[in-house]
Amino acid sequence: MDNATILIIDDELHIRQFLRAAFEFEGFAVQEAHNAEEGIRSATLKPPDLIILDLGLPDRDGSSILERLRSWSNVPIIVLTVRAREREKVRLLELGADDYVVKPFGIGELIARARAALRPRVAAASDPVVRIGPLEINLATRSGTIDGKRLVLGPKEYLVLQILAQHAGKVVTRQQIMKQVWGASHLDDTHYLRIVVRNLRKKIEIDPTRPRILLTELGVGYRLAR
Amino acid sequence: MLKSLVLVAITTVALLTLDQFFALRHVTLVYLVPVVIAATKLGIIPAVIAAVAGGGASAFFFYPPIYSFLVEDPQHLIELPLFVFVAIVTGHLATSLRRQADLARRRETEVHDLYAFSRRLAAAHTPNDIYTAIREHLASIIGRRTILFETAPPGVPGAALSDEGQVPDAVKRAMEALAEAGKGSGNSSVVEDGEGRVWLVRPVSGKAGDFGVLAIDLGQQKGKMAGVIRERVDAVLADATAMLEHLDLGRALSDARVRSETEALRDALIGSVSHQLRTPLVSILGAATVISSAPGNRGDPRLASLADILRDEVDRLNNDVQDLLDAALISSKGVRLDCEWVEPADVVNAAVDRRQRLLAGHHLRVDIPDELPFVYVDPVLLGQALGQIVDNAAKYSPPGSQITIGAKTESDAVVLSVGDEGIGLVGEEQTRLWERFFRGQRGASSVSGSGLGLWIAKAFVIANGGQIEAFSEGADRGTLVSIRLPAREPATPDLAVSGDG
Repeated sequence: MDNATILIIDDELHIRQFLRAAFEFEGFAVQEAHNAEEGIRSATLKPPDLIILDLGLPDRDGSSILERLRSWSNVPIIVLTVRAREREKVRLLELGADDYVVKPFGIGELIARARAALRPRVAAASDPVVRIGPLEINLATRSGTIDGKRLVLGPKEYLVLQILAQHAGKVVTRQQIMKQVWGASHLDDTHYLRIVVRNLRKKIEIDPTRPRILLTELGVGYRLAR
Repeated sequence: MLKSLVLVAITTVALLTLDQFFALRHVTLVYLVPVVIAATKLGIIPAVIAAVAGGGASAFFFYPPIYSFLVEDPQHLIELPLFVFVAIVTGHLATSLRRQADLARRRETEVHDLYAFSRRLAAAHTPNDIYTAIREHLASIIGRRTILFETAPPGVPGAALSDEGQVPDAVKRAMEALAEAGKGSGNSSVVEDGEGRVWLVRPVSGKAGDFGVLAIDLGQQKGKMAGVIRERVDAVLADATAMLEHLDLGRALSDARVRSETEALRDALIGSVSHQLRTPLVSILGAATVISSAPGNRGDPRLASLADILRDEVDRLNNDVQDLLDAALISSKGVRLDCEWVEPADVVNAAVDRRQRLLAGHHLRVDIPDELPFVYVDPVLLGQALGQIVDNAAKYSPPGSQITIGAKTESDAVVLSVGDEGIGLVGEEQTRLWERFFRGQRGASSVSGSGLGLWIAKAFVIANGGQIEAFSEGADRGTLVSIRLPAREPATPDLAVSGDG
């Protein structure tokens, strides 16, 4: 995995420089593009394993680049965005971004997100178990354990946990979960999800009010820690 | 006519049936019933017909000789014309009552429409909002498809303000010609669009100039009918124009234009400033963390702590930029909310987790009960408000002291609180704490800050329908800040969260 190629699309030279250094230190190969057009061209000519896309590009709106990339490619995309624009973050995730990192960020955070995004999206048939700290979820037998003890989960609770486990380490928007668990007609009833999350936390967290496994991304969705 | 006769016939049959069992007297009076019904439902002419028919029916069926219109009894001879007279007068009264009721109802609708219209105008932010309001108002009172063209400033092509695709070319040309003919030309014209439909095209003008050009779809009607509709349209438009004058539409339009331009400028400025200030921060923090984690440097605690210093400073600068942006946003546009049902603990955790390093020197105690009600708020803004208060608690209390973040239910509210063991509040600090740019004198020299934080916190809490207050027992006795949020529970069917449905 560490021979993976990362495509960095950013108009700021300095940001490209430190990103290149960081990913090369970690053993990745790096391609750079300084605007959207070049980025799309680069992604077409030499498809990367992961794209890091800065949303503040001068030549094109971030969402239109995402849409264009997603029209033909499934490559994981992490967007770099600024704080206090949760609605935009949700929109970008729904347009197909895999995750986002808020600027300014420490490099450790971005690398961790990149590794999570590079993990295969579908668990291998040989190892259907997702492990997060003391939590184990077996996607094949649809069951889970915490500290080795069997978890008793309601159907909705299991479904929510399964979706998060399939994206372990990555943010999943509330709407994505709502659509899969309750169906498209209940997209606005997000308090259902909050109740299920509260119940889940009581079962898997040491202190449900200070969660360490099932984390909230305020205004966006949930993330299973990795 | 037929309906009146049917009413009289029904009455007659009913009377004849009753007559089998009781010997009826004064049957003529009963015939007032169909007259009143005809008057209120059908109008005065049917009422008169019912009156005459009723008189005839009494003479024919009930006054001897029966089954003849002849009347023998002289008393009946007087009674019959008297009945017809009374019936007609009653009918007339009933009709005019009905007309008045109708009129009142229509007035009420019109006034209601007018209120709705002026409310929309007052809330309009762009000229387009205003034009749409005018068009829809006219369309609703005239009851026909209406299209409004904006009168453009000289040299700029006018724009149609509704589904232009449906406007026939001939009509479009006529509207453009009229718009170009200039101010106050005041002429209306009738245009045929080649598909058999007739359109009335006329300017909407006031003293201050033309508001626009209006095209109204008159449909297939030609000749006299079209003339009638046109007169009605003119009458309504005369009213509407007077009202538009009254509402000072011209000024409203230009105000709206200026407003939207100013807002666009401010947005652009805020966006650019934030971009300019933040971009270097991204590179500084990124490069510093790369250096400290580079192979060869990894595990060197001195480098790691230098990177931490950079991280803290960058966070602080970044927060200051955010404060400025928030402050600009609050004073220019007001706060825009994105509310949802929120787990209170999530907001507290977000505020605390983002400040882990700032709080590292303090003992942090988070005390949140398991079963707090959800609150309906904008979680991000509330998190920022709480974060500001936590920032202050950390800044104005000594290292090693305790900061307690709590949450509890209190009657119909959820109360989040931040308590510290810091310098507390004295004198004017108690009252001026929430003012913009206010900073207490005691901490000002040793603690950095913009004086915006608590002001922003208060604005965000109030925008979320909450209250915020600070309490202190005095100098060095600590401060307790509480945020009180209305608690309501969303309706949740049990099956929705437990079942497999």
